[in-house]
Amino acid sequence: MATKTLVFPGDIISPEVLPIPTNPSLPLKLGPGLRHVPPSTITSTLAGPLCIDRKKNAIWVENNTGRYIPQPNDLIIATVHHSSTDIYHCSITPHTAFAQLPQLAFEGATKKTRPQLNSGSLIYARILSASKHTDPEIVCYNPSTGKSEGMGELKGGMLFDISMAMARRLLMHKQKADGGIALLEEIGGKVAFEIAVGRNGKVWVKSGGVNETLLVGRALQETDTQGLGIEEQVKVVRRLMRQV
Amino acid sequence: MPREAEPSINERAFILEALQENIRLDGRPLDAFRELHIAFGEEYGVADVQLGKTRVLCRISASIASPYPDRKFDGIFTITTELSPLASPAFEVGRQSDLETHLSRVLETTLRRSQALSTESLCLIAGQKVWSLRADIHILSHFGNLIDTSCIAALAALRHCRIPDTSIKGGVLIVYTPLERDPVPLALLHHPLCITLNYFESGEKMLVDATLQEQQCSEGEIVVSANPQGEVCLVQKGGGGEVDALVLLRGIGLAVGKVREVGKVIDRVLEEDAKRRDKGGVVSRELRAENER
Repeated sequence: MATKTLVFPGDIISPEVLPIPTNPSLPLKLGPGLRHVPPSTITSTLAGPLCIDRKKNAIWVENNTGRYIPQPNDLIIATVHHSSTDIYHCSITPHTAFAQLPQLAFEGATKKTRPQLNSGSLIYARILSASKHTDPEIVCYNPSTGKSEGMGELKGGMLFDISMAMARRLLMHKQKADGGIALLEEIGGKVAFEIAVGRNGKVWVKSGGVNETLLVGRALQETDTQGLGIEEQVKVVRRLMRQV
Repeated sequence: MPREAEPSINERAFILEALQENIRLDGRPLDAFRELHIAFGEEYGVADVQLGKTRVLCRISASIASPYPDRKFDGIFTITTELSPLASPAFEVGRQSDLETHLSRVLETTLRRSQALSTESLCLIAGQKVWSLRADIHILSHFGNLIDTSCIAALAALRHCRIPDTSIKGGVLIVYTPLERDPVPLALLHHPLCITLNYFESGEKMLVDATLQEQQCSEGEIVVSANPQGEVCLVQKGGGGEVDALVLLRGIGLAVGKVREVGKVIDRVLEEDAKRRDKGGVVSRELRAENER
């Protein structure tokens, strides 16, 4: 994600912009918002900044619209809706098909020690499989290691809605350099809090008191809706900090 | 039948915990409205009201019809509400939900049964011709407090609305175009508004203008309709939880204060709109249909 050019629907992406792969055998990957018109034209279908990943030889258009569509390996925050014999039916987004969470898909869960979740509990989970034709399946542990890796039931705290682009930015490896987000570090210097970000546009925050939790949630939502830069985020945090 | 997604246990617990410390999620005081924004259309009788993220559009239309045979001197005034899936995925097309019934009943009582609009003033020729007025309320986005927002939209649209001037010469009804005579405003006898109070802890805490989440977590709601003069038109309590009579009285007092506050906002935007439309000059003053009364 080095250079940022802005594209509009119908724009033809010139071949000079396309990444030169480090490994010539790696094919070019087109992400969301791009369309390949044979033989060799690439046009955009969305408006937004064009993002390029040279290492993966991938190119996509960043766009902040639309609803969440489950993709395998996404981390999401879901609400348990009801339970059947050995499955919890969880809602990832309201008014869509429920995701299925096997009751044994938790760290160290056996038939006798499986966690009891009530209707309305929040869980942090990973999507195992998702397709157009079946209900998504989610798990609360890493199937290859058997460890929870931070997933499982979220107790206490508060859930905040954010946009999907904001959730993507928060989940980036280098949050400040790539995502342009500095407010969590800024708040973390003064207030201790726990946070879980779901790709479905949800953030769960837990801190010592109501005010502290709201501080994190409000700072995130303000940054999201107003599209604040790094310096502005620091200012927002300082202003909210004074109110607490 | 789709239902509104319920908030999770964590959200519910957090909202209630915050309320015990008198904190609301968006940082407002317990008795404060969200940002109210009212806009009028190019035509008369169209009001677009935004209360925070909730948005309602009301349009008044008038036509000439024959009156009901048992009410020869009364015009016709109907209020229709429409909750379309545009506003929230929980709304369905073609099926009247409980919320819609509740909403239209409250509006009906507030605006029609309280005689805010005098239907007798809509009569043109007794038993033959009356104005048939229709208020169409469209919910554009639903983020809580639909009742108050719809009522503000309906009242603002009614106060903004102008109908063509008419006269009767020798038993013949003449309807004037806007070019011949300026359209006349409706005869509103008073300006009632609804205020919904969501209560917690059996009335200990009362929230004005609750968001959808707060609404879902509350024990119940009290709808109070009143006019700025302090005359109460409707008190309705729903939700099941019991409240003390004194709490109800306190709620009514709170609601009347809020009605005055919102009424002033409507007054101000109507004045601004009138100023924008007034082209000035002697001609416009002379041709004005309304008199000093």
